[in-house]
Amino acid sequence: MAMFRPNWGADTVGWFDLKIISRHFDVPEAKDIEYFEKHGGYASARKAVKMDPASIHAEVKASNLRGRGGAGFPTGVKWGFVPKDAETVYLVVNADESEPGTFKDRHILFWNPHMLIEGMIIAARSLGVQNAYIYIRGEMQREYPVLQRALDQAYAKGYLGKRCFGGDMDFDITIYRGAGAYICGEETALLSSLEGGRGWPRLKPPFPAVKGLWGQPTIVNNVETIANLPWILENGGQAFADLGVGRSGGLRIVSVCGHVNKPGVYELPLSVTGRELIEDVCGGMRGGRKVKAVIPGGVSMPLLDESELDVPFEFDALQQDERIAEVEVQPGIKFDLGGGRTLRTMAGSGGVVVMDEDTDLVSACWRILHFFADESCGQCTPCREGTGWLVRVVKRIDAGEGRPGDVELVASIADGIAGNTICALGDAAAWPTLAFLTKFRDEFQAKIRSSTFVAQQRAAAEQGAP
Amino acid sequence: MTTKQLSPEIEARIQELWPRFPPQNVAKALCIPVLYLAQQQFGMVDDDVVDLVAERLGLPPAHVKGTATFYTMFNKKPVGRFHLQVCTNIGCQITGAYEVFDRCRQRLGVGNHGTTEDGNITLSEVECLAACGYGPVAQIAERAKPDIPLYFENLDIERIDQILDALADGDVPTQLGS
Ligand SMILES: Cc1cc2nc3c(=O)[nH]c(=O)nc-3n(C[C@H](O)[C@H](O)[C@H](O)COP(=O)(O)O)c2cc1C
Ligand code: SF4
Ligand code: FES
Repeated sequence: MAMFRPNWGADTVGWFDLKIISRHFDVPEAKDIEYFEKHGGYASARKAVKMDPASIHAEVKASNLRGRGGAGFPTGVKWGFVPKDAETVYLVVNADESEPGTFKDRHILFWNPHMLIEGMIIAARSLGVQNAYIYIRGEMQREYPVLQRALDQAYAKGYLGKRCFGGDMDFDITIYRGAGAYICGEETALLSSLEGGRGWPRLKPPFPAVKGLWGQPTIVNNVETIANLPWILENGGQAFADLGVGRSGGLRIVSVCGHVNKPGVYELPLSVTGRELIEDVCGGMRGGRKVKAVIPGGVSMPLLDESELDVPFEFDALQQDERIAEVEVQPGIKFDLGGGRTLRTMAGSGGVVVMDEDTDLVSACWRILHFFADESCGQCTPCREGTGWLVRVVKRIDAGEGRPGDVELVASIADGIAGNTICALGDAAAWPTLAFLTKFRDEFQAKIRSSTFVAQQRAAAEQGAP
Repeated sequence: MTTKQLSPEIEARIQELWPRFPPQNVAKALCIPVLYLAQQQFGMVDDDVVDLVAERLGLPPAHVKGTATFYTMFNKKPVGRFHLQVCTNIGCQITGAYEVFDRCRQRLGVGNHGTTEDGNITLSEVECLAACGYGPVAQIAERAKPDIPLYFENLDIERIDQILDALADGDVPTQLGS
């Protein structure tokens, strides 16, 4: 296994030496099954179809693979929730990527579609799946034909369909195209959409692994999660776990945007810190400007300030490292995640947004809220009404029409949404809002102090004075 | 009743997809794929198209309509020959998307979701197109070729002007896209 060890010690660009999924990025021929196979592709799937399902599951558990879609839930554990006596189990790949700041799955689909298909065959073998669906975001019009072509090639070779690889397993993959709704990335909304209706989330429990698509046990996994499986089977779960940090195995694909010199998609060790990501991987800040704030995992996640960048961008570290401030509802009052747990931030979707010192964070906060208000499915009142209200208040602060008390109002609306909704979109709007206020309160206050509303009040008070 | 008919290509696709879903769920599951294809054929999803899809799949029209209105990619009104979609979400906002979008509005003389009088261009402000690292980003879908969109990355005033010039002449400036 030694040849796969990343070159940690080297003083050059050792980090970039090992690539799992991104090894075929920017190689146009990799979309072809011949090229992919010549470079070791489908060997793991070929092996998997003859394996005992439980031993595949054991490798996935040992790998410490965690979901790359947002929640970071251990994949092996999730698979274990499928009832043992289930007759029909579905696998659904979540390719709805639409969390602002995130653009990694699109790269995987476009550059390395066969690795996803191979991973799906492995998952299907382990879970006893005969029918799988890839729910691809409707707007991904460029990626859809690429993926369909890759599927057609795999069918033509006999790797999909009846008796895959000549073994005893039948397995079909069907692409299902979304039609423009961010909420359909949420797994239960995705299933509602796949069933052919509005993309409305459902209350959990029951979790999809127990009761999902058409009421049957269903595993929903992100594109990147599944695309890691061929490597895990080739090299063993332990090798994947060894690449990682603590309870998180493997590498991670992050997409970086904003004010860095080299934005892009990078597959990196989980030990890389925010500062290393910006300085060493992305070539530093544009124009040599300073960092003001960084969103570590898509806009649903609380942002970091410059002083918090020395923490590794890894699932547990971002949640627990004490160098990251806890999000507050009001100064001195910590936000309660439930059960007395506090909120720092999370690794989310791996979508990193870097903002320099000239960025207007009130404006950024407004744009994020505008997004969530637009995308709320409207089922729960706190989310539907709350996100709309948040947009209106933050908009007026941003437009220089804020009123004294608006900051407190925003915080209390956000606090009223969090934890009180069917799906996590409500939290996704509330958490970052509270983080903006915890870490950059002054910017909001300053806009209010200089607002036209405050000026009018002051003028009126002066006129009224003797 | 509408005189519209689903094209033979759509029929063929329905036949192809039918066995991929459980028999008792397939009609409903095909609602979105068939709406998609119908929109490609007719350019939009209006009440006639809803009725047509409902009838073909044996679904209540209210269900099909409820589904169609939930998703932003189903156009309820006709769109122009070119649909210019500019992302203004965070990654694009902080790299100048609103300047680009305002330029489009001003040059085309339309608001968000508006179509130029000659029916050539519809302008929309859209959410993240998953190309955030190369912002501001726009996507152009040509009505006749719905599956060959082009992305235009790292936009600024100069580049959007070139794109708008080309569209006005009836061309997609492929050399500027990716
Ligand atoms: C509002 C919302 C949007 C989401 N969007 C996505 C998405 O676009 N892609 C994705 O893989 N997961 C998304 N998720 C997470 C999924 O619900 C689910 O946890 C994930 O697909 C599970 O796969 P994983 O375990 O492999 O990460 C979203 C969650 C929420 C609450
Ligand atoms: S939290 Fe928002 S998006 Fe989620 S179900 Fe409720 S209203 Fe819909
Ligand atoms: S924010 Fe514009 S493409 Fe993602």
